Amino acid sequence: MRILCFVLTCILYTQVVFSERLQVVTTYPYIADITEKIGGERVRVIPLARGDYNPHVIIPKPSYIAKLRRADLLIINGAQLEIGWLPPILKQANNGNVQPGERGFLDLSTYMHLIDVPTSVSREQGDVHPEGNPHFCMNPDNILLIAKAITDKLCEIDPESKSLYQTNYTEFEKIWGQKTKEWEEKMNPMKGVKVIEYHKNYDYFLQKYGLIIAGTIEPLPGIPPTSRHIGEVEKLIESEKIRCILQDVYNPKDASEYLSKKLNIKMIIFPQDIGAVKEAEGIISLFDEMVRRITQ
Amino acid sequence: MNFKYVFFILITATASVLGQDDFPVTQSKAGSPFNQSKFVPDISMIVDFSWVSRDIDNGVFSELHMPGFTHHHDKEGHDHSSMNSLKGFNLNYGEISFYSIVDPYFDLFAVLHVAEEHAGLEEAYITTRKLPYGFQVKAGKFLSSFGRLNEQHTHYLDFAERPLVLNAFFGEEGLNELGTRITWVAPTDFYLMLGTEILMGENEASFGTAGFSDVNGLVNIHESENPNLFVGYARSSFDIEETVVLFGFSYAHGKTRMDEGFSASEDEGTAIDASTDILCGDLTVKYIIDAIHNISFQSEYMHRSIDGSLYNRDTSFTVAKNSLERKQAGFYSQLVAKLGLRWRAGVRYDLMNLNDVIIGSTKQNYPENPARYSAMLEYLPTEFSRLRLQVNHDESKYLHTSNGLIYKPYTEFILQLNIAIGAHGAHSF
Repeated sequence: MRILCFVLTCILYTQVVFSERLQVVTTYPYIADITEKIGGERVRVIPLARGDYNPHVIIPKPSYIAKLRRADLLIINGAQLEIGWLPPILKQANNGNVQPGERGFLDLSTYMHLIDVPTSVSREQGDVHPEGNPHFCMNPDNILLIAKAITDKLCEIDPESKSLYQTNYTEFEKIWGQKTKEWEEKMNPMKGVKVIEYHKNYDYFLQKYGLIIAGTIEPLPGIPPTSRHIGEVEKLIESEKIRCILQDVYNPKDASEYLSKKLNIKMIIFPQDIGAVKEAEGIISLFDEMVRRITQ
Repeated sequence: MNFKYVFFILITATASVLGQDDFPVTQSKAGSPFNQSKFVPDISMIVDFSWVSRDIDNGVFSELHMPGFTHHHDKEGHDHSSMNSLKGFNLNYGEISFYSIVDPYFDLFAVLHVAEEHAGLEEAYITTRKLPYGFQVKAGKFLSSFGRLNEQHTHYLDFAERPLVLNAFFGEEGLNELGTRITWVAPTDFYLMLGTEILMGENEASFGTAGFSDVNGLVNIHESENPNLFVGYARSSFDIEETVVLFGFSYAHGKTRMDEGFSASEDEGTAIDASTDILCGDLTVKYIIDAIHNISFQSEYMHRSIDGSLYNRDTSFTVAKNSLERKQAGFYSQLVAKLGLRWRAGVRYDLMNLNDVIIGSTKQNYPENPARYSAMLEYLPTEFSRLRLQVNHDESKYLHTSNGLIYKPYTEFILQLNIAIGAHGAHSF
């Protein structure tokens, strides 16, 4: 009985302590950083996945269930990026406030214009996303749309702090505008440059700055490279002027390294989220680092 | 005034002309105005094939059992739905599942288990979507969340079959019952979930509800009060950096009614009227090495105690009643590693470490410590297809003959192909 009392007291205590601030859970670190910039002191933001892991195949730790249980708001990337790991833990969290369709649920992809929407869908084409390429956060223009969607959502569920959120958004919009100009200038000479990426991770970034995606190391999305496909990429590199291979941090690097050594082409380890490389500490430094690495 | 009318007419005419132009296009886009195809639930199909090589004959294999735990099957056309039971090729099962949000309040999940010649509803249940204070209710027919592995579907298991102890206590289909479940997730920093289930308790391996009586009416045991089975469990988890620790305790209590030919009017038969408690402790430790590699240790220990009466009827219809006490336990431990993007490998050890069966005051002389050793290697082209090679060395099975029990250890190789198509939901940890 005493133990039970103790447990209940602990539970009540934790509830009181944490209820002061709005609990926001985000699936990926980049969403967490933007939310912190808008929410400021009013929110406690908890990202689930790590930025240096494959965002498609996150191991659904039971501790995520505890985080979702107490959330007032859940913000996801959407466009089926989380489909392989989020649905069961969201269901097990027994938190009706953050289920899809509820007020405490925000799917960022619904505010985006997605590219590469397949006209027909078959798993013969590998791990395709029927709604389009889900890595839209790689376009800096989209980050502003995301920040706006998060601001609107925070204002909706916590109208008392509306002015704070709006002030923070205006501030972020200003800084982001300056940074966007800076990146634009730095990326200007890259127009028309051809690159190869491992996975279709960076299409939004590359399209924004006018780079040309000549091919991917993966033969199909989610399918590891085969020797035959690598042979084709080799021919491509030999026949066309390719500047570099963009390799993410979580997929095996052997194929890219092999091509890089054999054909003397640069392989760039390229981040896709905060924490993927140590320099990418926040949403601004993530883009700083991408621009720095590709223009180097 | 007139001008206004003319203007109005012009606008209406233009609109109707434009509308007529649009008409065939909108019609073909929208299809039937009563089209509901957007509401088709998530449907998936899983098919499991295997090729088996075993050093004993199919006939002998189908008669094997673990004395004290599982029964030897008599001639009575026993439906042997065992997986991988034949040497050569096997079509183990097909599984068709449906999932959809019903309305703002419920989700529905249903699984059809399909064999070559028959099909059955394996699971069909609703869950609530937004009960307050961290509660969720499940109702229908479902696999109990008792222990770690019981609620997992066969295609999600790390090995071709369930561990010995699960098969011994719950049968090959697991503890799958009609009933209801309530879970509560604590609003704490670490994961803590408490759950309770009220189930019919018809599981043939440990429970059972139907009454029995002998032909002369000397013994007449009524059917048990239903629902008959109560399950409770607590699960918790914490992370130490990239190591996930998940553990749980489960308890099941129910009445046991088993009739093995006792109520029949020929041969001899036995029946059990008892009360059964099963305790289970489980532990999973997963170390996430990097984005691709991880290694996972998992173990489950179960203890069953059955207390009650055993009725024996011989061919001359005399009935003997004896006290029955069974204290039995077993566990499995497994280590599974993800070796690369497409490779997994694992080993498992099964042991039934307690088998005390006392009838009257006589301890039964059952073989002790039946064990099984397994190893597997998986190749996963995508998340939708899996090829697995498994080796089992089983030292747990015996053959019942007129001369008593004969020990029949065997070794088998299983090459298993598991395929999933359609909209299949993700799996939990």
